[in-house]
Amino acid sequence: MDLFKNNKVINWHEHVWLDDNGNLDEKRCELTVKAAYDTHMDLIVSSLPVLRGNPTPEEFRHCNDIQYEATKKYPNMMKGMTFVNPGYVKESLDEIDRCINEFGFLGIKLYNQYHISNPVVRDVIEKCIKLDIPILEHASKLNYKPELQPFTSNGEHFAKVAKRYPEGVFIHAHIGGGGDWQWTLKTIAEFSNIFLDISGSVCDEGIIEAANSYIGSKRLLFGTDMSFSSSIGKMLGAKISYLDKVEILNNKKFEKYLKRRGI
Amino acid sequence: MIIDVNTYLGHWPFRKIRYNQAQTLSKHLDDKRVDIACVSSINSIFYKDTQQGNIELSEEIKNYENKFIPFAIINPSYAGWKEDFIYCIEKLNMKGLELYPYYHNYKLTDENSIELINLATDMNIPVHLPCAVENIRQKHWLDTDKNLSLEELDQVLAVCENTKFIISNGASHEIAEYLMKRKKLKNHNVYFDFARVEIFNDDLYKLIDIASIDNVVFGSVSPFQYVEPQLVKLQYLKIKDVEKTKNGNMKKLLNI
Repeated sequence: MDLFKNNKVINWHEHVWLDDNGNLDEKRCELTVKAAYDTHMDLIVSSLPVLRGNPTPEEFRHCNDIQYEATKKYPNMMKGMTFVNPGYVKESLDEIDRCINEFGFLGIKLYNQYHISNPVVRDVIEKCIKLDIPILEHASKLNYKPELQPFTSNGEHFAKVAKRYPEGVFIHAHIGGGGDWQWTLKTIAEFSNIFLDISGSVCDEGIIEAANSYIGSKRLLFGTDMSFSSSIGKMLGAKISYLDKVEILNNKKFEKYLKRRGI
Repeated sequence: MIIDVNTYLGHWPFRKIRYNQAQTLSKHLDDKRVDIACVSSINSIFYKDTQQGNIELSEEIKNYENKFIPFAIINPSYAGWKEDFIYCIEKLNMKGLELYPYYHNYKLTDENSIELINLATDMNIPVHLPCAVENIRQKHWLDTDKNLSLEELDQVLAVCENTKFIISNGASHEIAEYLMKRKKLKNHNVYFDFARVEIFNDDLYKLIDIASIDNVVFGSVSPFQYVEPQLVKLQYLKIKDVEKTKNGNMKKLLNI
C-alpha cells in the first residue's frame, strides 16, 4: 500500500446511500469513510443517484440534501457531486446552482435516466460548461441484458457529446463497472475531453494497462464505486510506470476543482 | 504461504490473456507470493472432448509440480467421461474435479453429473464449481449467457451430502447465505473463495461468519484477474486465523 500511503489520492467516484427510512445510511457511510482513511485516501468525491426510474425534482433534491449531510459529517474526507435528472430541465439547472453555490459540491453526477448525448441533457451540459465543473456519468457497454438499463450511456454516446461540446469535461464512469471495457476504450480514445475513472468490481488483468495505453494517465481518474479492494488492487497490480500511477491517483487536470474549494 | 484455489492455463478465445502458460503464470504467481495454485485448462472448457485439454495441462505443468496442482475439467454429458475422470485422477495425478455446466450445456442435477460428483466423492476428490470465468456483463457474443445455477447447486447439495465442494468467483457471501437458509451448510463440506467479495463493506466478514473461517479459501482467478485485489483483502482481514484462508483450509481439503 506504499503507493497509496506515499501519494495524494483523490477518489473521484464514491457514493452514500439512503436507509430504509429515506435518511442517510450512516453505517454504510461510516464504513466507506473508514475504508478511505484505512487505505490512505485524501478525499472521496461522492454522490447519491437514484438507480431506477425517473426521479422527480423533489427526489433528486432530497438525494443532494443527504449527500450534503454526509459531507458536513466528514468535511475533511468527503465532497459532493450534484445528482440531477436532466429531463426536469429548469429544476436541474436550479439544483446545480444550489449544490455548487450553497453546498460547495464539485460537479454533477448523471445516472441512467438519459443517454448523455440525448438533446434533453444539453441545457445541463451547457450549465456545467458555464460553471466550469465536470460531469460524471454512469456508463457501460453492457453485453448482457442491456435492456435492463436501456438509457445507460456508452462510449459512443460520450464521443458524440464530446465532439459537440469540446469545452465540456466528461467523466466516463467505472471502466471496471462490468461492461465491455475494450470496446469502451476504443470509442473514447480520441476525445481529449473525455476522462475515465478506473473504479468498479471488474479487475481483469490488463484493464489498467489498456486504459493507460488508449486513454493515457492524464485522462484517467482514480475511483472506487463501492469496490475498494478491486480498484486499489488494480492500481497496485498494473504494470504501468510509477509516475502514471501517481498521475491517476491525483489527476492534475482536476486539481482546479479542488483548489477552488480550498483543497 | 498462499495456496490459490482458482487459476487457469490455456487459450481464452474472447480476449488476449497474459501469463497463460505454465512458465509465465508460475513466475507471475511467484511475484505475487502465491506459492501453490490449483490450475485447470481453459481449453477444456471449449474443446468438445475436455480430456484433450486435461492431457495438455498435465504436459504443460510437468516441470512445475511444486507450483501447480491440476484439477480435471470433465463434461459428464460427453462420451467417455467416467474413464476420462478416473484417468485424470489415477494416471495424471489430478487432485480435483472442476465442472462447467453453463459452458458444457448440461444441468448439475443431471443423472450423469450426479454420478460423476459421487464418483469424485468416493475417490475423496473435491469438486470445484466456479460461478463464472469472466464477468458476464462484458461477455463476447459467442460466450455463455449463464453463470452457475444456485437452484441446481442447492439440489445437488441435497443429494451429495458428503461431497467437498468449492464455490469460487461468485458472490460467495450471498451464496453462503442462500445455502444457509436452505440448511445446506450443515456438514461444513462447502468451501468458498472471496474473489468477488468486498472486505471494506464487511461482506467478507459476513461470509466468514456464515461459512466459518474453516471454509473460506483464497482464489485469484489468475490470469484473468489481477491477484492484488485478493492480496489487499488478506492485508486488511483482521481475524485471528487468517492463515487458514491463506493455506490451511486448502491443505486440509487436498491432504497436502
